Amino acid sequence: MKILCDRAALLEAVSVVSSVVPSKTTKPILKNVLLRADSEGIGLFATDLEMAAKVRLDSVKVSKEGTVLLPAKETSALLRELSDPTVTLESTDLRCRIESGGGSFVLLGEDPEQYPAEATVVSGKRLEMPSGVFLRMIQETMFAAAREETRYAINGVLVDAGAGCVRLVATDGRRLAISYENLQTDDDVQFKAVVPLRALNTLARALTEGSKEEIIIEVGEKQVVFTTGQTQLVSQLLDTRFPDYEGVMPKSADTTVEIQKALLEGALRRAAILCAAEMRMVKFEVGDNTLRMIAESSARGRADVSIDAVVKGAGGSINFNPDYILEALRQCDLDEIRLDMSDDSMPAKFTLGESFTYVVMPISGA
Amino acid sequence: MIKKLPIAVVNQIAAGEVVERPVSVAKELIENSLDAGATRIRVEIRGGGAEELTVIDDGDGFLPEDLPLAFASHATSKLSTVHDLEHIGSLGFRGEALASIGAIARARIQSRRPDGEEGWEMRCDGGVESKPQPCGSPPGTRLEIRDLFFNVPARRRFLKAPHAERARIQQLVAELALARLDVDFTLVSDDKELLRLPRNATLAERVGQCFGRDLSRGLLPVSREFDGLKVEGVVGEPDLARRDGKLELTYVNGRLASEKSAVYSVRQAYREFLMGGRFPIYVLHLVLPPNQVDVNIHPRKAEVRFVESRKVAGCLHSTVRSALQARTMTFGEASASEGGVQIRPEMPRARSGFPTSSPSLFETGGGGAGGIGRGAVRDGSSPSAAEPAIVREPQPGAAPNAAERPNPFRRAAGRFLQVMDLYLLLEGDDGLLVVDQHALHERVVYEQLKKQHAERDVQIQRLLVPAVVEVTPGELAWLESVQEQLGSEGLLIEPFGPNAIAVQGMPTVLAKTDPKQLVRALAMGESDDGKSAIGEHIAERFHSMACRGSVMSGDRLTDAEIEELLRVAATLDHPHNCPHGRPTVLTFSSAELERYFRRRC
Repeated sequence: MKILCDRAALLEAVSVVSSVVPSKTTKPILKNVLLRADSEGIGLFATDLEMAAKVRLDSVKVSKEGTVLLPAKETSALLRELSDPTVTLESTDLRCRIESGGGSFVLLGEDPEQYPAEATVVSGKRLEMPSGVFLRMIQETMFAAAREETRYAINGVLVDAGAGCVRLVATDGRRLAISYENLQTDDDVQFKAVVPLRALNTLARALTEGSKEEIIIEVGEKQVVFTTGQTQLVSQLLDTRFPDYEGVMPKSADTTVEIQKALLEGALRRAAILCAAEMRMVKFEVGDNTLRMIAESSARGRADVSIDAVVKGAGGSINFNPDYILEALRQCDLDEIRLDMSDDSMPAKFTLGESFTYVVMPISGA
Repeated sequence: MIKKLPIAVVNQIAAGEVVERPVSVAKELIENSLDAGATRIRVEIRGGGAEELTVIDDGDGFLPEDLPLAFASHATSKLSTVHDLEHIGSLGFRGEALASIGAIARARIQSRRPDGEEGWEMRCDGGVESKPQPCGSPPGTRLEIRDLFFNVPARRRFLKAPHAERARIQQLVAELALARLDVDFTLVSDDKELLRLPRNATLAERVGQCFGRDLSRGLLPVSREFDGLKVEGVVGEPDLARRDGKLELTYVNGRLASEKSAVYSVRQAYREFLMGGRFPIYVLHLVLPPNQVDVNIHPRKAEVRFVESRKVAGCLHSTVRSALQARTMTFGEASASEGGVQIRPEMPRARSGFPTSSPSLFETGGGGAGGIGRGAVRDGSSPSAAEPAIVREPQPGAAPNAAERPNPFRRAAGRFLQVMDLYLLLEGDDGLLVVDQHALHERVVYEQLKKQHAERDVQIQRLLVPAVVEVTPGELAWLESVQEQLGSEGLLIEPFGPNAIAVQGMPTVLAKTDPKQLVRALAMGESDDGKSAIGEHIAERFHSMACRGSVMSGDRLTDAEIEELLRVAATLDHPHNCPHGRPTVLTFSSAELERYFRRRC
């Protein structure tokens, strides 16, 4: 194999596929990326056996076709450090020589035959939307998913499509985020799939904010394929039962509070400083057009912050873990948000965008 | 063609199950002697016991008319009806031992009843029995086993070197002897006396005789009575801990037996005082009504099962825990050892009414000390008139008499020195203190977290989606019984069908914990009441917070920081260990320093 290509483009492509390469593995061959050169250009492929990433580069001069397996970490580090705009790769047996500027480097690869083959994807239901929109939906939900690697945790985000609408839902059992988007989908496009967090994280890194480029989502029985431009990401779906998120949504509220998002975020961050380290809790007191936030720690002190708000309903007080609210506010673009709350045994609902809803369970006394 | 196996072959096969190596022979024979009421047992072995193993006792001896049945299978004098199985008080009961041994070795019995005129002798060579013959014999029984496995070469090949087999026998004799302080034990190997255990020693003395004198100085006596359960024995100072669990000895009604939850609960009691990978040493005797124990679950009787295992575990935990917390010993200085074990001969019976048996039944041993073990085995064998009450919640029994271990920082003088950016040297009340700054700070931070937590109201992070956890019916019953306690600690649970519970809320301190894992850990734990069960998990969380939040090895401290650390340490109740059990301070007493510098002999 022998190719000549643009260094920056190759670096970008290697970085994207490298994001699925496991940092620790008992199968050393998985630390590589596969590079295949054919008459039309090159394809890069990497997998950790649960997900796989594929990128094609066409603007490559292929003087000799072939396949080589390259160590992912060293290859991307090397491409980053080289200074020339172009780079030449030439392989003989398992060695790959990289030439750029005055330097010559030899990477010891492994046998491409031993690398896991690209799985043939059985495509099923298919969706299309601007990739910038999908990125926003990921960001509005992913933070609420459970991080812990436990059975209870729902380490994934639900993609629920149907009736002209797509919803992304994530929860860790204590709070839940929903982001939705209306689409002109065919009536028969209807599915529910739980995508692992890791896959969405990788995908989010490959997408650009506000991009109009389409992303195609194909959901099969056990796999999902995301395709945008020359990049493709395949992931196993999680075989878990996602909780009934619609049942969790509060149907009514005793009190409705409308607040400036920036005011709330600033005040809550200040108050949260004085929470006890081992027990994060801020009390929200809703009174006469004010929202008062109180945090107290016997070891550190007490915070008492009030902000203006438009209050409708009975008012009252309710305790929250401030981190749950701050994490959501970070993803919110609205100037004014709405809080619907009842008592401390009922979930409170935050409206954080036209299509972004967030539900948090309060903290109560014993 | 199918044939019925000859008795000799059947016995050889059965022997394989009972007799694995010389130590199994020794165990069967010594237990027989104990069951025969011996007060003096001498074990002589050659070649690790495979060549020759002789047990001589002064027990009841065989009735001459019983002797022909000695080597018959399933013949025993200890049990006659199925009903007796529920009240097993003797050590052996299946009537297989001698038959098995006789089938695979050359055995010889010489025995005389105390009231008999002459002794009788009988042999059994690889299952071939001789006729009983009169012989000269002192009162008691002498059982001689030679050439073990002479007719089973396959077994013989699996024997270890003689010294290894000897070590096993030595451990066995020690283990049996710790249950019977009223019996004199001697072990002789190749004419060398390995163990000499005179009667009526205290338990601590005997532990020292068995396992090394230096052990006996660090043994804390314990004795507690609960409703329907008596716990007594000795627990070792944490610094005696070993790398194996060989000296974790629990006796149930006089029989050495392990029970999972019991072992676990004692280790839990030690947890704060021991480093990981270390096992405590202890010898504990549990006496409880025989119908509260199932001894018939293990072929070698090495395991038992308690009807109320949680409650037994709770009692053990609190007994050991309070003994450890009330230690009077200072590091390196033996002060508790003088007293040794204090077992009062007239230990009052538990309120629950253990089956009281007629004392004449076991009035074979010398009076005086004893107490442990001696009566226990026989006690159970007499059918109880009053059905004994089940073990209940731990009740404060005999209060631990040892005074609180003093806080060494309380009287530390004002001068100190930090060395190696890790240790603080200071002058204590009587001698030199070497302090591990990280370990001590960890304890200080841990106590602060605990105190703040105790002052705060319990807060519950409610769950949006209840977490459903599958549990066994037994676990469910326990969880339901402590549901309210758990709720008041912040864990809201509700039964969810016949074998699951739903978690509705979590204590805010544990909000990051997975609800399912928490409930599973609680259900499988050994703690009896919900409050302390959940307390353990909260403590664990504080441990890790304290560890991260403390000064580390390598942090250079200013004088002001050291002063402050020592000042706070002086206010603590338990400054001797960090929350993970590592010691915080090493004391060189002035006496030790004087001895070392030869200022005093």
